[in-house]
Amino acid sequence: MDDDLTVLELTVNGNRRTATVDRRELLVEALRTRFGITGPKIGCLTGDCGACTVRLDGLITKSCLHIAVAEDRAEIETLESMSVGGLTGLQESFWDNNAFQCGYCLSGMLFSAAELLERDPKPNEDEIRQAISGNLCRCTGYDAIVTAIKRYADRGSATVEDVAQ
Amino acid sequence: MIPTRFEYLAPRSVAGLVAALDEESRLLAGGTWVVPEMGRAESRPRRVVDLRRAGLARISVERSRLCLGAMCTYSDLLASEDVARYAPLLRTMATGVTGGAALRNQATIGGSVAAARPQSDVPAAFVALRAVAVVSGPAGTHRVPVAELFLGAGRTTLAADEVITGFEMPSSRTSTHGYVKLKRGGSSWPIATAATLLRLDDAGRCEDACLVLGGVEEVPLTVDLTAILGRPPGDEELDAAVTQATAALSAPWTDVLAPGDYRATVTAPVARRALTMAWANTGE
Ligand SMILES: Cc1cc2nc3c(=O)[nH]c(=O)nc-3n(C[C@H](O)[C@H](O)[C@H](O)COP(=O)(O)OP(=O)(O)OC[C@H]3O[C@@H](n4cnc5c(N)ncnc54)[C@H](O)[C@@H]3O)c2cc1C
Ligand code: FES
Ligand code: FES
Repeated sequence: MDDDLTVLELTVNGNRRTATVDRRELLVEALRTRFGITGPKIGCLTGDCGACTVRLDGLITKSCLHIAVAEDRAEIETLESMSVGGLTGLQESFWDNNAFQCGYCLSGMLFSAAELLERDPKPNEDEIRQAISGNLCRCTGYDAIVTAIKRYADRGSATVEDVAQ
Repeated sequence: MIPTRFEYLAPRSVAGLVAALDEESRLLAGGTWVVPEMGRAESRPRRVVDLRRAGLARISVERSRLCLGAMCTYSDLLASEDVARYAPLLRTMATGVTGGAALRNQATIGGSVAAARPQSDVPAAFVALRAVAVVSGPAGTHRVPVAELFLGAGRTTLAADEVITGFEMPSSRTSTHGYVKLKRGGSSWPIATAATLLRLDDAGRCEDACLVLGGVEEVPLTVDLTAILGRPPGDEELDAAVTQATAALSAPWTDVLAPGDYRATVTAPVARRALTMAWANTGE
């Protein structure tokens, strides 16, 4: 085996998996190219855009700021984990309110919104803007995203597990 | 992908960290600064030494001193009752860190201090809180006031084989605080920050006061406030403190965000806002 290749074990969206990765790869790169999980996107690689957001051992994080091998045995949830068995209520609300176009920013927007709603099921607009502030969207101008999160929270069923009917 | 090859180690003790360090290694804390730098090949360490397995994220209070592990993240500060009680300034500071919850879950206080970037929040806030860094190296462990760690932009007194394991600071629960950042936009780096603490005696006179400015010079700038001690804080004292802030500035910092003369101009209003915030809270 090439000197720079090594085996990485991750639990990705509930499945324990291994893949051969290059030691120099970022977590987002390993997820996409070695594990075939393309929900997290590559945007800035500086931590600014949030396109690569995942949940790592329960906490949301920007996966471009991690060296993949440093996360051996971690539990990772990606955007894909949200829609097992259908879209979540939050995702439906994004759909209904035109809160995305290209979808590149969705990992960051949805994980940030979900994290906020877990802490505070009834956030005001200001809190919503704060929560998504680490994420850049080049398509929507943000207002539609804020509206989607607000309308979803106002419906009174703001749990992340909530799956739309 | 990071263009250069490196060895990755994650020692499980401070001794292990120190043993792994040399001129060609780089400590990895949250990685929010190191990882992109390595990606751009601005840093090409032969060995990356991960701090995360060495158990340095503890928060405790010992003899009314607040002790913070170097690996505490901004989220850890925000979640801690001890921080809220003994160093509320840090809570205010952490609330204003940009990058969202994902960044706050990852970026550490040790990384911010060690990176010694002039515009960062933590260095000046820690100087205002009179924090001391606990530093381990081959010769053992010693304590250094954070104010004495900074040599210049991105430069500290830390040797290549030394690691900050944590910070200790006296309780500031009997002081009020002010913290202000001047930024271009919601998510931009600060151009200037001001951290201030104020404690009044029973007669309402200023018993202890400090003001530390960040971003205006290469290293945190401590303003001498002895002129207002022993006096009840009023407009005259506020003016005197702001005058001291302007006078303290000798070599204003220039970067892509703002030239030095801009920073020199905003020093007074930024200092005034922070002091006003601390003043206003003394009434509570
Ligand atoms: C999107 C984004 C937004 C940000 N917003 C802010 C903000 O609002 N305010 C702000 O102040 N900063 C901000 N930052 C900067 C960030 O806070 C700092 O980069 C962070 O605190 C550094 O911590 P880290 O754990 O990621 O450090 P790392 O990147 O892991 O390390 C930084 C440096 O410190 C060294 N180091 C780390 N820990 C130690 C230690 N214990 N002992 C000795 N050396 C050590 C490393 O070798 C490296 O040189 C932002 C960064 C990003 C990417
Ligand atoms: S690609 Fe990770 S934050 Fe932009
Ligand atoms: S939908 Fe395209 S970046 Fe947000």
